[in-house]
Amino acid sequence: MGITERLIEDAGLRRGVSLLTPEKIEKTIVAVLQGETGARLKTYAETCMRCGMCAEACHFALSHPGDPSYTPAGKVHQTMSVLLDKKGRVDPDFIYGMAQLAYTECNLCRRCVHLCPIGIDTAYIMSTVRRICHKLGCTPQYMQDTAHSHASTFNQMWVKDDEWTDSLMWQEDEAREEFPGLRIPLDKEGADIYYSVIAPEPKFRTQLIYQAAAIMHMAGVDWTMPAQTGWDNSDMCMFSGDFEVMGRLKRQHFESAQKLKVKRIVMGECGHAFRSVYDVGNRWLGWRWHPVPVIHAVEFYWELIQEGKIKLAKKFPGPVTIQDPCNIVRGRGLQQKLREVTRFLVEGDIIEMHPNMEHNFCCAAGGGVINCGPPFKNVRVEGNAVKAEQLKATGVKTIITPCHNCHGGLHDIIHHHKLGMDLKFLSDIIYECMEKPEA
Amino acid sequence: MRRILPLLILAALTLVAAQALAQESITKLAPEAFGKFQRPPALFAHDKHNEKAKLDECVVCHHGGADGKQDKSASTEGTPCADCHKVKPAGKATGLQRAYHKQCIDCHRAKGKGPLACGQCHKR
Amino acid sequence: MNAAYEFVTGPLAWIAWGIFLLGSAWRLISMYQLAKKKDASSWAFLDLGFSLRSIVNWLIPFNALGWRKNPLLTVTTFAFHVCLVAVPVFLMAHVALWTEFFGLSYATLPDNVADIMTLVVLAACLVFAGRRLTQKDVAYITTGKDWLALAIVALPFLTGFLAYHQVFDYQIMLIAHIVAGEIMLAAIPFTRLSHMVFAAFTRAYMGSEFGGVRHARDW
Repeated sequence: MGITERLIEDAGLRRGVSLLTPEKIEKTIVAVLQGETGARLKTYAETCMRCGMCAEACHFALSHPGDPSYTPAGKVHQTMSVLLDKKGRVDPDFIYGMAQLAYTECNLCRRCVHLCPIGIDTAYIMSTVRRICHKLGCTPQYMQDTAHSHASTFNQMWVKDDEWTDSLMWQEDEAREEFPGLRIPLDKEGADIYYSVIAPEPKFRTQLIYQAAAIMHMAGVDWTMPAQTGWDNSDMCMFSGDFEVMGRLKRQHFESAQKLKVKRIVMGECGHAFRSVYDVGNRWLGWRWHPVPVIHAVEFYWELIQEGKIKLAKKFPGPVTIQDPCNIVRGRGLQQKLREVTRFLVEGDIIEMHPNMEHNFCCAAGGGVINCGPPFKNVRVEGNAVKAEQLKATGVKTIITPCHNCHGGLHDIIHHHKLGMDLKFLSDIIYECMEKPEA
Repeated sequence: MRRILPLLILAALTLVAAQALAQESITKLAPEAFGKFQRPPALFAHDKHNEKAKLDECVVCHHGGADGKQDKSASTEGTPCADCHKVKPAGKATGLQRAYHKQCIDCHRAKGKGPLACGQCHKR
Repeated sequence: MNAAYEFVTGPLAWIAWGIFLLGSAWRLISMYQLAKKKDASSWAFLDLGFSLRSIVNWLIPFNALGWRKNPLLTVTTFAFHVCLVAVPVFLMAHVALWTEFFGLSYATLPDNVADIMTLVVLAACLVFAGRRLTQKDVAYITTGKDWLALAIVALPFLTGFLAYHQVFDYQIMLIAHIVAGEIMLAAIPFTRLSHMVFAAFTRAYMGSEFGGVRHARDW
């Protein structure tokens, strides 16, 4: 049992590993362990009592009953524990397996924190393993492509500067037919809200920008989107281990908001980007908190509803279920607000999945796993059979989830298990149900 | 088990033999003041002990004193220890258990002879 | 035999306690310095209130998700840890030694209760060992260090139980018991048992992150 028995061919990993020498491996590992880790890793490695309680936490482990190599401690046992025991003296083949495991069999979802009495953060350990893989040049090809895009364009999808503003103006143009007078204000100084999205939105989910603009317009929000780089809040470099580029991305995002002297940043319905902006990037840049306050779309919609700014023409027909995105639930405690917003929008019951809220199961796409691309698609789809069972047990047709990764992950799970369920962003439902001007 | 068995038999025999030999002359330190005993009372063969320890003066053990201070000039033989040393002592006075332990162990330690550890006196 | 007894209750005890106390202090201080130097972005978020919130919630049996998902281990580990600490600290014979050597005296456990609690510790060790041998997910991650920690903890209780009941040669058993206890003390700062020193801090850190930054429960 273990990663060596389930290796998957990936061009990026193969090429990276082919260039390694034992000397380079040892030097790099020692440099990361000594230079970038400290008391956290040391205490985690030393005090993990190997009790195995975390086995119950992980959707990968629960979806592979009887195979302990998928448990959180089992994954650390195959990766970081070996690096520490052997002081970095491992061979290139080991790095291949370690990279595949760290990038594709752990979503960094942090559910295991809820099952560890000592409070060991396995996600941190796996991130550190990924950091080492990145420094060794052994990253999955698809993920590295997005990281390259980030490094060259400041966005994840190779969107060129003119394409970005083009897309916004195109959506504005389209929306003005339905909402006369609607604007997507570019670079508006001193706006209340700076709205940032992930690059897949302009690239292939432009309707989300349309919907956001419609909601802002009807709610009378003073908002803006930046015309220059910084507009993409996503961050695959955080997940690939390229923290240097991560830092550049986050600085660009915050600075573009600061230049516009906005009051707050509202981030679209994405989980990983929120983790990057709210919890990770700021720390890398040495900021305890954010230079511009940051809130997630769920909280923003919740506020608009509290203020009576979202007016519905009808309610969305339920029942629905909610997929809690790890990064805004375990990462920001938005589970109650998500339900309050849903209750406001939906006619009928919310059929909960169990476990849910802070104890939810990840979609198995997050943490950069879906970005490792087609070679690893089955790892996450088959590795999340428990989610398919959870979804099926609700018996509902509609799943609401305010996260791009959850959409991607659940889409594949629904398709693979022929569940016939629909996925909705909150903005899909708000847009569908809100009052619109008479046409 | 095969290896331990002879040891077990030996241990059992030793226990029986020791008890049979000691049966006649032993005295236990088992004052009623303690109430129910948690451990077996300490074995103490008064005459044999004093003979072996060459103790002629009673006051060596049967001392006087008050408020936690011993008076080695006042002999108190015939007075039960528990009369002065209460199980739950007030103020600076020495408690009964402590008095026994101190009396026996301190002397054994000073002379380099006699039992020191719990089970050597509190034998089962 | 008296000489051996005096040695293990005298110089060796001082050495064991010295290693335990100074070693623990050294480990804590050096870990603190390392954290300040290398983990500033974590250290900055430590918060006393959220630390205690997390610790308290994990100290309640079956409160945290982890406890609820592992009932056998929960019962075992709570019983184990309570007895593991209470028996050595409050055993009448141990308190008598504190009195003998330092004039210290405090509440004690009745011997028959302590006896049962010792058996609880030993039974728990058997459960732990059984899990390591038979439960796949635990066996997979079990290392020599884990067996060592288990043995170090089980031995003082096993020998203590045998010495108390005066099975086998009492004096040898008692000396073995004392030495085993001293090995355990000295091993605390340098083996897996160091979670005694560090667990409160790893828990506190997680509690602080989840409380102060992520606004979510971590139990």
